[in-house]
Amino acid sequence: VRLPYDWLRELVPVPVDVEALAETLGLRGFEVASVEHRPHAVIDFEITANRPDCLSVIGLAREAAAAYALPLHDPDRTWPAAGDPQPIDVVVDDAEACPRYCAQVFSVRLGASPDWLRDRLEAAGVRSINNVVDVTNYVMIEMGQPTHAFDLEKLAGRALRIRPARAGERVRTLDGIDRPLEAGMLVIADAERPQAVAGVMGGGDSEISSATRVMVLESAYFAPGSVRRTSRRLALKTEASARFERGADIEAPPAAIARIAALLHRIGAAQPLGSIVDRYPAPRPPRIVELRSGRIGRVLGASVPDSEVPKILGPLGFELRPPRGGQSSSNGATSWAITVPSYRVDVLREVDLIEEIARHDGYRGLPATFPALTAPQAPPDARTLRDASVRRVLTASGLSEAMTFAFIEQQAAQSFADGAPLVAVRNPLSEKYDVLRPSLLPGLIDAAAHNRRRERLDIRLFETGTRFSPSGEVRAVAGVWSGTAVTPHWSGAARSVDFFDVKGVVETLCGALGAEVTFARASLSCFVEGRTAAVEAPAVVGHVGQLAPALIDARGFPAGEELYGFELDLDALAALQPADDLRAESLPRFPSVVRDLSVLVDSNLPAASVRGTIRSSAPDTLAHVAEFDRYRGKGVPEGRVSLSLRLTFRSADRTLTDVEVDEAMARIVGALASAHSAERR
Amino acid sequence: MDISFLRQQFETDLAGAANEPAVRALRDKYLARKGGLVSHLLKDVASAPADSRPLLGRQANQLKIHIESTISGKLSAIAQQRPAVEAVDVTLPGRPPLLGHRHPLTLLRERIESIFLRLGFLIVEGPELEDDYHNFEALNMPVDHPARDMQDTLYLASPVAAAGRVAATLLRTHTSGMQVRYMEMHPPPVRLIAPGRVYRRDNLDLTHTPMFTQVEGLVVGDTVTLADLKGTLVTFAAELFGPDRRTRFRPSFFPYTEPSAEFDISCGVCGGTGRAPQALVPPQPASNAAGEGGCAMCKRTGWLEVLGSGMVHPAVFEAVGYDPERYTGFAFGVGIERLALLKWGVEDIRLFYENDLRFLEQFPL
Repeated sequence: VRLPYDWLRELVPVPVDVEALAETLGLRGFEVASVEHRPHAVIDFEITANRPDCLSVIGLAREAAAAYALPLHDPDRTWPAAGDPQPIDVVVDDAEACPRYCAQVFSVRLGASPDWLRDRLEAAGVRSINNVVDVTNYVMIEMGQPTHAFDLEKLAGRALRIRPARAGERVRTLDGIDRPLEAGMLVIADAERPQAVAGVMGGGDSEISSATRVMVLESAYFAPGSVRRTSRRLALKTEASARFERGADIEAPPAAIARIAALLHRIGAAQPLGSIVDRYPAPRPPRIVELRSGRIGRVLGASVPDSEVPKILGPLGFELRPPRGGQSSSNGATSWAITVPSYRVDVLREVDLIEEIARHDGYRGLPATFPALTAPQAPPDARTLRDASVRRVLTASGLSEAMTFAFIEQQAAQSFADGAPLVAVRNPLSEKYDVLRPSLLPGLIDAAAHNRRRERLDIRLFETGTRFSPSGEVRAVAGVWSGTAVTPHWSGAARSVDFFDVKGVVETLCGALGAEVTFARASLSCFVEGRTAAVEAPAVVGHVGQLAPALIDARGFPAGEELYGFELDLDALAALQPADDLRAESLPRFPSVVRDLSVLVDSNLPAASVRGTIRSSAPDTLAHVAEFDRYRGKGVPEGRVSLSLRLTFRSADRTLTDVEVDEAMARIVGALASAHSAERR
Repeated sequence: MDISFLRQQFETDLAGAANEPAVRALRDKYLARKGGLVSHLLKDVASAPADSRPLLGRQANQLKIHIESTISGKLSAIAQQRPAVEAVDVTLPGRPPLLGHRHPLTLLRERIESIFLRLGFLIVEGPELEDDYHNFEALNMPVDHPARDMQDTLYLASPVAAAGRVAATLLRTHTSGMQVRYMEMHPPPVRLIAPGRVYRRDNLDLTHTPMFTQVEGLVVGDTVTLADLKGTLVTFAAELFGPDRRTRFRPSFFPYTEPSAEFDISCGVCGGTGRAPQALVPPQPASNAAGEGGCAMCKRTGWLEVLGSGMVHPAVFEAVGYDPERYTGFAFGVGIERLALLKWGVEDIRLFYENDLRFLEQFPL
């Protein structure tokens, strides 16, 4: 809200310049967006939602008066001599949505506003329209009370009926738009149809014009929820709706009419006819809140002398009844019954009053203490620690951490959902963000494409984050890798990344998480057939493979380049994590015996089968099996492959003899021959 | 054993030792603590008659020293005869190990977590899909509350089931929902931070992203005060930004705290003066309004907003079943992206989500 400095000084003659005033009010909780000096000295405040009373000059002037300990001058509300009353019929059908409705008839002479009025409005950022409208705007800015003027002669039946709209009714609002109304929206109707949307905007059909001779001025209190709902449904936010939906002052409607009457009289624009019609069937008693001095210290951590409390609260309009208690019990037992002024809709309970006291000095008087630690703390969420170790393993594997948005384009998401339905956002920012990601890979592919477009060839990225499905959210980790497998170096040509680089990362990561996993050929639409593995534990916990060229091409990554990726369900892996019961094994005391074995097997026989047969046919002394070569070509028949493995035998309690290892090797070779028709080379 | 005979034997052996391993073997033969000939001799000396012992001892020691130095000399002579290795150009670049970078937001988040862990805080994490109750209602923001406008919300097209709780209808706008859940499950005292990703319907621009990362803190106990909040935040800011920055605590409004406070630090670019750093001041045309110029980082105010905070509103305690008469508490919430902008001078928040390696690699490993 824009506060013209001169206008405030008319109500409270602060002895400081505009910059100093802005600083003072800023520290009292009114955030300053900007300070202007020319053509008018104006402070632009960002008023928080709890202080609708300060969407007005008088509200901010009251704060300034309290800050500088100065009296606040009330604007002139002298009621001018009134003319003969005119008949007007005001009925409130919905007293819940409109607890108070005041109306006053005026005879008017529309014309231009005097310069002082135009200047004031201009400083506040409002365009001058005519003398009557300008005065109503002036009073809204000054007092914060929105009002609306109807041309009485355009109201059918000279009636104002505050009622819910009926289905199918419409109104042409002042902005010229013909708006359909929903049943239940509160309107101001004449005998026939809606003439204004209550608390939001007036209607064009009963707007005052240069031809208007008699107007009826509305000054009401509309319930915040009702105005807010209507304003939202109509997507129509106005100065009036902003004030009503935050909570206007229920005592302001007649006062605002009196102020308008005085100003209209002063500029010779209008004369009241008869007196104010005030429909206020259930007057609200003022709110009384108890404040205990001991509680102030308990919340703030700094005590405030009892004598200070009235000095702080009084100038803000709070009425304090003399302290109660005090003498009967110990220190800090004083308590006041405090009457809250009607414009302070935010003060509902004791703690709200404590804030009023604390903000008096902008919290500057508060000491900086530290809360006592009274109980030992539990360890952090297991996921926090797990994600940190995932990041440690993956950065040590050469991948850099990315962060991508959790919402993506539906088209990009589809291929990664594996046929499952997607979770859609009802009100997405744009189509680019209309579903929640079913996988982290689309975001990483986009990130890879972004880097590739910037001439980056070697890309290694990972992300840990949440992915979504109709059955809920899961924490996952994914990675992508393209370009070389090692950092290029002058000493030799770098090899390109392949499936086994990425699989190695997945194996290392699963190992670090304590999960025993196996890999099996898999087929998935987002990966290349034949270069994809499911990671099984034994349920599928993720996949690793080369990403489908068509898919990466669609996201702007060159289809001709290989991009490998993996994704793992971290929650599922964590569930497999063994208990924290590691025991260190003693180191072997006897030497091991190493034997190499080369066999010819069918080229499509998985290495895992060979390894499995070796394991199951070998004695317990087989400590380790590792493939060290796989060869096809000269000397190997078509359709066969030469697989070389290194077997390590060891016993914990003796030195193995050649004879027993030879026997074991013979059994293994025999088992391989019968299970896989393997021939030893 | 005769000392001179031993010496003789050593000289003969030495003459026959042609290469390095043979010389090393001599060291074992004569000097090994167990079974070495000289070691054996020294033991014999100990059992010799008392009158001859000093002389024998001296001679034996001399022999030991002689053998040691002779062997060392011979070994270094052999080493010098070795052919020279081919020299490397030590100025060529080394072979770098493959190492990835953590995301800058992670660096900052882990830094923040470590500060609060040291201050005795628990770290909790919660769901990103929330129900209306935990995101708004329990936090003193009933339906139609104007404060809901402060956080424009992204809603799900249809509710998503969640194990053991009400179906989720929205993307959380803050991690406060987790604090509510924690208080529902645990009695005071509470002292925790809840980090995580949050979502708001904000368009992408220099300072906004529709997804960002938050750390919220909550402390509840018998004697927790606004002064404790101030002290905690001052400590936090000094750790993160260094001890030289001034801090400011000023009144504000949040529906779930009362009193509420904004926490600011002095601007690091202009040193809190609000004036443009000297070298950067462009020549000012005389017609310039007084409002022009000055420090762009803090928009001439000298202060940078860091976070929002306050004393937990009694209505929040009532919602989770805590007695607001007995317990008081404070809460704060900070955007990690915002801290990163302030700490590292990042000019465009979108850089954190573009994942350009040229950006990510600027941050320490």
